[in-house]
Amino acid sequence: MSTFLVQRLMQALVLLLIVSMIGFAILHLAPGGPLSQFAASGEMTQADLDRIAEQLGLNRPLPVQYLEWLWRMLRGDWGLSYRDQQPVLHIIASHIGATLELMLTSTLLAMLLGAWIGILGAIKRYSLFDSLATIGAMIALSIPTFWFGLVVIYVFSVGLGWLPSGNRYTIGDGSFLNQIHHLIGPCIVLALVSTAVWSRYMRSSMLEVVNQDYIRTARAKGLPERSVLLRHAFRNALLPMITITGLHVPTLLSGALVTETVFTWPGMGRLFLDSISYRDYPVVMGILMFTAVLVLLGSLIADLLYGIADPRIARNG
Amino acid sequence: MTKHSNETGRSAFPMPALHRREVLALGAGGLLAASGFSARAQTKAAPPPPAKPTGQVVVGLSQEPTAFNPLMPGIEVDETVWMQVFNTMWLADPQGNLMPDLAVEIPSEANGGISDGGLAWKVKLRPGVTWHDGTPFTAEDVKYTLELINAPGFKSRTRVGHALVKDIKVTGPLEIAWRMEKAYAPYLALLSNTYIVPKHLLEKAADPNTAPFNGAPVGTGPFKWGTRQPGDNITLVANEKYHGKGPYLEKAVLKYVPDQTALYAQFRTGQVDLIIGTGIPANFYEEAKKLPGRKVVMIPNASLEILMPNLENPVLAEKAVRQALYASINKQAIIDIIYYGTHKPTESFAPQESWAYNPNLPKQQYDLAKANKILDEAGWKRSGSGVRMKNGVPLEFAVSTTTGAALREQCQQLMMQDWQQVGVKMTINNMPAAVIWGDFYTRSKFQSLLVGTAFRTVIDPDPASRFASDAIPAKNGSGANQMQWQNAEVDKLLKAGQETFDQAKRKEIYWKLQEVAREELPILPIFQYAPIEGYKEGLIGFEPNINARQNTWNMGVWYWAR
Amino acid sequence: MSNSELISTAEPRLAPPPSFWNSPGFRRFRRHKLAVFGATAIVVMTLACIIGPMLLPYNDTFIDIRQRFAPPFSGPHVLGTDPLGRDILARLLMAGRISLAVGFSAMVISMAIGICVGMVAGFYEGVIGATLMRFVDAMLCFPSIFLLLAISALISPSVPSIVMLIAMTSWMEVARVVEAQMRSLRTRDFAVAAVSMGSSNARIMFRELLPNAVAPIVVAATLNVAHAILAESYISFLGYGIQPPTPSWGNMLEGAQSYLTSAPWLAILPGAAITLAVTSFNFVGDGLRDALDPRLDLP
Repeated sequence: MSTFLVQRLMQALVLLLIVSMIGFAILHLAPGGPLSQFAASGEMTQADLDRIAEQLGLNRPLPVQYLEWLWRMLRGDWGLSYRDQQPVLHIIASHIGATLELMLTSTLLAMLLGAWIGILGAIKRYSLFDSLATIGAMIALSIPTFWFGLVVIYVFSVGLGWLPSGNRYTIGDGSFLNQIHHLIGPCIVLALVSTAVWSRYMRSSMLEVVNQDYIRTARAKGLPERSVLLRHAFRNALLPMITITGLHVPTLLSGALVTETVFTWPGMGRLFLDSISYRDYPVVMGILMFTAVLVLLGSLIADLLYGIADPRIARNG
Repeated sequence: MTKHSNETGRSAFPMPALHRREVLALGAGGLLAASGFSARAQTKAAPPPPAKPTGQVVVGLSQEPTAFNPLMPGIEVDETVWMQVFNTMWLADPQGNLMPDLAVEIPSEANGGISDGGLAWKVKLRPGVTWHDGTPFTAEDVKYTLELINAPGFKSRTRVGHALVKDIKVTGPLEIAWRMEKAYAPYLALLSNTYIVPKHLLEKAADPNTAPFNGAPVGTGPFKWGTRQPGDNITLVANEKYHGKGPYLEKAVLKYVPDQTALYAQFRTGQVDLIIGTGIPANFYEEAKKLPGRKVVMIPNASLEILMPNLENPVLAEKAVRQALYASINKQAIIDIIYYGTHKPTESFAPQESWAYNPNLPKQQYDLAKANKILDEAGWKRSGSGVRMKNGVPLEFAVSTTTGAALREQCQQLMMQDWQQVGVKMTINNMPAAVIWGDFYTRSKFQSLLVGTAFRTVIDPDPASRFASDAIPAKNGSGANQMQWQNAEVDKLLKAGQETFDQAKRKEIYWKLQEVAREELPILPIFQYAPIEGYKEGLIGFEPNINARQNTWNMGVWYWAR
Repeated sequence: MSNSELISTAEPRLAPPPSFWNSPGFRRFRRHKLAVFGATAIVVMTLACIIGPMLLPYNDTFIDIRQRFAPPFSGPHVLGTDPLGRDILARLLMAGRISLAVGFSAMVISMAIGICVGMVAGFYEGVIGATLMRFVDAMLCFPSIFLLLAISALISPSVPSIVMLIAMTSWMEVARVVEAQMRSLRTRDFAVAAVSMGSSNARIMFRELLPNAVAPIVVAATLNVAHAILAESYISFLGYGIQPPTPSWGNMLEGAQSYLTSAPWLAILPGAAITLAVTSFNFVGDGLRDALDPRLDLP
């Protein structure tokens, strides 16, 4: 077990190193730079811009800049944002809450809905419900998330006036109910895709379990069908599902980013877009590394749980 | 807060710009008449301000303020914070008069504050001012501020003008004097945007670039720094020991909503009390005017929407081509239809409210026949494909702007269709903002740009950094003359304008300059921005100021009608 | 899918089936109603986008500012007009050409990259294989939207560069699938036989192994088209994608958010077109998966 962990961690570190190189290269080789936003204001002269570039160390060779970034990173210093001079980790920390709130609630919603649809679909295989659920899941996977967000705003905010069109809460009213009210729209949008994925996996996972010997045994013992399904089948079908969630961290993050842009949600997605458009290199690099860690963590946990769920899986990396 | 005008200091300010990327330039009076908006009439009927700070205002911004040290690089929206937390020695009112703030009076040649032909400056400072932490404000703070701007390792925003300052002497607890390397009239204007920072806090930091102060600023202004939720809002709280009038509000929340449409939606539902800066999207103007309990006003600022040709481009270098292009821009359709009648057509690089504005420039007429004639006479012959040619060169160029600017994209497509009719082939080459404003812009690698920008020095009408031939970065100049305009007569006029302190004489110089620019068309002006700002009716004291960078300039005196 | 479908074609076919039209795969595909629907929709949409613009009285770029914001079904413009008075139907069809072309070309390029990387990595296990697959893993660490946006905010947008961008960010899954196939196939008898007969590596890879991995590749390719159309629409929606005057389904949505109250059709129509196209490709991909590789039953 511990050799497995050590191996995985070593692999993860190598991956992070490659990720940082790719990210750094993409960012710095692209035209434009962090000074663009100031150049746009005719107020700062070329002399000012050149001086600040010099002061920020942007004129040095790229490998030097990368090694310096890496060296600071290894000592736990994520750098300072070019935009607001705050430590990068501090900035990420102040945005991650909003994103986690959105991701966790929508995942929870998707799990419940998805599990329900999946189980029902598996029990009543080929029924009308199952077919509709299948078609529905395919369509849900095909709808552009941002467009679905627009439709939700159009119907529930513009049309019916039930939901706010964006934001995390009303200024001056940070009450719990107010926050929940704001959460509904983006949560539905983000949960759509996850629900589709969950219901599909749940359905096939259930189908697989239902055909296993122990379920047949349980049935043969004359246990009521309901109890067989929920006590035995569901529990066993659920374990692999948890690993699926771990593997879906990147998809969830992408979805959260898209949803945040439509609902003006002040989370990581917003931060990422702003930082990219201002070319705030330290923050963009920070977010890339942070998400890479999340993704690797997700897949590591998935692997570990998978091992626990099914001890037959050899852990050889 | 009125009067205090004085003879020399009739300059104006950089305006609230529209887009983060566009700064503005001069400004001046005349706004009230222009917008049909009268703050005074409103104030007359208004109830008196509360005895102690009460209530809060939520200001909606479509960009996020992130830079809080007012001497470091920042964009216009950052000024909404600086204006509340800090003070300058003087600032401009809506009529364009400079009003003393941390200074007792505006230095001028008449009162002896400026002497030796503009080389010696002397300022008396206001007594009884304290920093938010209780420390008294003194001349040492001003000296520290001016020195910090020029300190070698410090990332100061700009050293324009400041670099000329030398021999700063504190001559008394509240008196300061310095000398200039050369006479430079716009410096008065520059100082009206130079916020004074506390010596006792910044001095302690090992490196002022990373001082804790930069994340939690301490100033002398009507509001104190409160809390910040990055990506969402900044809360400022009343400074009850403020030296000026106000503040009357207990709290001010600067709310960042990244999308203009979403921002407007929150204004409509009342989540934000007012929208300033980039304003309400033009397509909501009609609807917004009818909102109950809201006032919605078009408020001109000094920024211009222009087509900026690269004058080193072989096609665009030709004056006849620029004139023909200008004659075939359908300004009326752009303003009335694409921008829903907001913004004002203009012929000048100076804002119409400026004292330097020349109203007698010839009016552009949308006239395709005339454009065709100009091109025919200049020897551009139509080829088989309909595109004109001359000496084997097709009349073809690209217009660039930042991606995602929907209205500009509509403009581009309209121009494309009009120019096609006069035998000009225009292509669209849009790129992300960070690319456009990188070397592409600063080193003049574009063919032409559709941008909003301003032509002046902070608050002064002087456009030398935009038009002088030694200000071309692509030719090792140090200004922002990206169209690469070189004109000996213009250079002479610009120099004279900088060295003259007499406003009447300067006006003559800048009028002439505007005539030359209208004839030569180094920029093709389309309109002067007048974005739509809106606020709740119960808000008293909101007064647009074309001479301030943001209309939160006087937030200290705002309050709610009870 | 019935139980009988769960077995069959589990072994790689060494000889092609006698005829495509009565192959068991095609019959299974035909029985998959959604896949047939998807395939039909794709054909109809493609034909409409190719032929449609020639039949319409309106040009997709012609600006008629007096006609702006005409609602659908209310006048000569069947689906209404946009903020510049251009005919939306004409734009939808022209946009379809662009969006479908972007989807297909991005798929072809990403498949080419993915297949090559996967084949090399799977065939030469060892250092080369490990290095390549670590690179693939690293690329997969970026949530795809992050990567797309990071790059699209940095490059100058044009149709080819957007195609490359999407392809560059969507080849990794294919590489993984192909690599896994290669690893399992190269130990099979026919591959071992080819090696012992002294065939060159390239020959073994392309002539012996690749044809036997066709099933998952075709499925991945179909799903990749769907992914590419979605990706294009999102970056164009944010303004970083295909630039005007060229219409694409994504850039027709740009700015639509601000007209949501006054002209909702501007947002609804292109979004519906995207959804239809992407759903169709996903249906077809699903059907192909059932038909070609019945062991897989996951989305």
